[in-house]
Amino acid sequence: MPRIAITGTASFLGGRLLRRLVAARGADAVLALDITPPPTTLAGVRHRMLDLTLPGADRRLVEVFREEDVDTVFHAAFFTTPRRDASYSHELESIGTLHLAAAAAAAGVRHLLLRSFTGVYGARGQNPSFLTEERKPDADSRLSWVRDKVEAEEHAFSFSRRYPGLGVTVLRFATLLGPAVHTFYTRLLGSRVVPVVLGYDPLIQLLHPDDALEAAAVAIEKGASGVVNVVPRATITLLTALHLSDKVTVPVPHPAAYPLAELWWAAGVGEAPGGFIDYARFPFVADGEKARATLGFSARYSSREALESYLEYRFPGAGRPRTPMARTSAGEAHEVGA
Amino acid sequence: MSAQAKVVPIAGRRRGSKRREDPKGGPALDRRVVELEQELKELRASKQGESLLVALARAVSSGAGGVTWASLARLQRAFYFAWHSEETDEFGTDARFAETLEPFFEFLYAVWWRVEATGTEHLPASGPGLVVANHSGVLPYDGLMVQVAIRHEHPARRLCRMLALDMFALLPVLAPMLSKSGSVRANPENAERLLRQGELLGVFPEGVKGVGKRFRERYKLARFGRGGFVRIALRTGTPIIPCAIVGAEEIHPVIGKADWLGRPFGLPYFPLTPTFPWLGPLGVVPLPTKWSIDFGEPIDLREHGPEAAEDPILVNRIVESVRATLQRMVDGRLARRRSVWFG
Repeated sequence: MPRIAITGTASFLGGRLLRRLVAARGADAVLALDITPPPTTLAGVRHRMLDLTLPGADRRLVEVFREEDVDTVFHAAFFTTPRRDASYSHELESIGTLHLAAAAAAAGVRHLLLRSFTGVYGARGQNPSFLTEERKPDADSRLSWVRDKVEAEEHAFSFSRRYPGLGVTVLRFATLLGPAVHTFYTRLLGSRVVPVVLGYDPLIQLLHPDDALEAAAVAIEKGASGVVNVVPRATITLLTALHLSDKVTVPVPHPAAYPLAELWWAAGVGEAPGGFIDYARFPFVADGEKARATLGFSARYSSREALESYLEYRFPGAGRPRTPMARTSAGEAHEVGA
Repeated sequence: MSAQAKVVPIAGRRRGSKRREDPKGGPALDRRVVELEQELKELRASKQGESLLVALARAVSSGAGGVTWASLARLQRAFYFAWHSEETDEFGTDARFAETLEPFFEFLYAVWWRVEATGTEHLPASGPGLVVANHSGVLPYDGLMVQVAIRHEHPARRLCRMLALDMFALLPVLAPMLSKSGSVRANPENAERLLRQGELLGVFPEGVKGVGKRFRERYKLARFGRGGFVRIALRTGTPIIPCAIVGAEEIHPVIGKADWLGRPFGLPYFPLTPTFPWLGPLGVVPLPTKWSIDFGEPIDLREHGPEAAEDPILVNRIVESVRATLQRMVDGRLARRRSVWFG
């Protein structure tokens, strides 16, 4: 029976997906690829040590794919949190995906799925209210975080064009927030005081991990579907989210915010480089229509519910009574679009 | 009247149209629903006001020693939700925020500029419509006034979503203010999506060239972009309603431009008016001219069919005819106007 290989099983999404597939199809149907083994609780799962940044990674991958009879690869080895050594993330994300796509094409893998981010569209004032998959990602972003992901997507698609047997699905997930999510933005949410950009309050999308996993599982079943946005049911404004989580916001004028954040980052204190200020200023709301039409996937949780589930997990007992009235009205309003 | 006007914001309209189709729902039921909505709104408002007062009272009674991050966060939250709702619609429109600003816009509409709106019967009561207007006045007051005019003078009390220039979507404070009061960014994707949802849209095809034109060029319509609005109207079969705004050109008379000053701040132009920037903050107070907003006969483009959008010659001809119609309407109103201040 052909197997499903998952790379980056030590990552949040990769590990969760591994668990889910083991539960659904049995331990023998999946293969974990990472530089560290999966947790011992997943006994019996096949694991191959693999470093995508090594020069011979593609040759080794071809062997692994052939030996293990792999026909589907879910590539989840991407960094959500920006790293200071940008060259390592470039090697892993851009070059690593190049190796992986080349090996998948050579070994006759049928379907390659990539975990990507709605952040690759770039946050801009000129963005339409809903970014569809036809929108070109921001390949000249000032953030290497974005550029590496865009390059990874391009590598995958270029191999799929040259080898028609290899189908590619790129899942652009909205910002993940929910129980057990640990990233740079959840570290910001962990502190009492959060800096915001003065005079901006963009809409943001917060995706519950359960929805992300559901979409990934559906996409594996469905087969190659190109780029697909995976987004929550409804959006929320940034300041609403921060005030609902009881943060003290300190507004910083945007001309000062960029150099300050850059300085903070360079000094080793900041959570993210200055380019991420754009994501707190401008919207990058993606459209989930294609996921509904081609995958038959629509999210169960709204952004607000994802935030509440995270707060419940992170600050148990501190949750305030919910307002069922506001919830239902939001549900109605968002039936059409989000 | 104003009490009722507040009850029927964005969501209320859709429900209202459904009710009319329902054969069982009589006018009595309609009235009862409006009453209940009003009660619900008052209840929520009183709760919100209460929570802000409670937070303030707690802060005062605990004194300087009792200031903690937690109390500060509670106070900030109470302030924020006193004039923002916890939910927005999918385009970011915030009903409570719009309500908060409404008195200010109503003051500008009724007292400051004494807007006289005519021809609102040309606007569709339901279904899509594209209001095409001339742009002027440095800041996007004209769009807000068209919005208020349609909300108050049209029987269906429709929300007219304005397509805001990119430059306004980039500016701090103004960007969230516009998007929360119902505007969206001016790009073809947004326009087409909204028209397909049957919304009423307002567009200023002159763009930056119109809003920042000099005083001596006033009421001479600039080029109408590249005709994107006509292409979208053709594709979606939407009627175009020309709308002539007179009076907005004189609120901030641009006598000179110092664009080099605005460039570091990301502004496409930096206007010099008789009051700005010489009088400091007073310079941003618009002059109290007398305005008129005239809606003209709708232009039906359905005879051309959606494929006509790919015919650039035809599109340009329609663009020019819309522009000529609008210029004629503006000129007609100007000829009848005796005074800038009293109409």
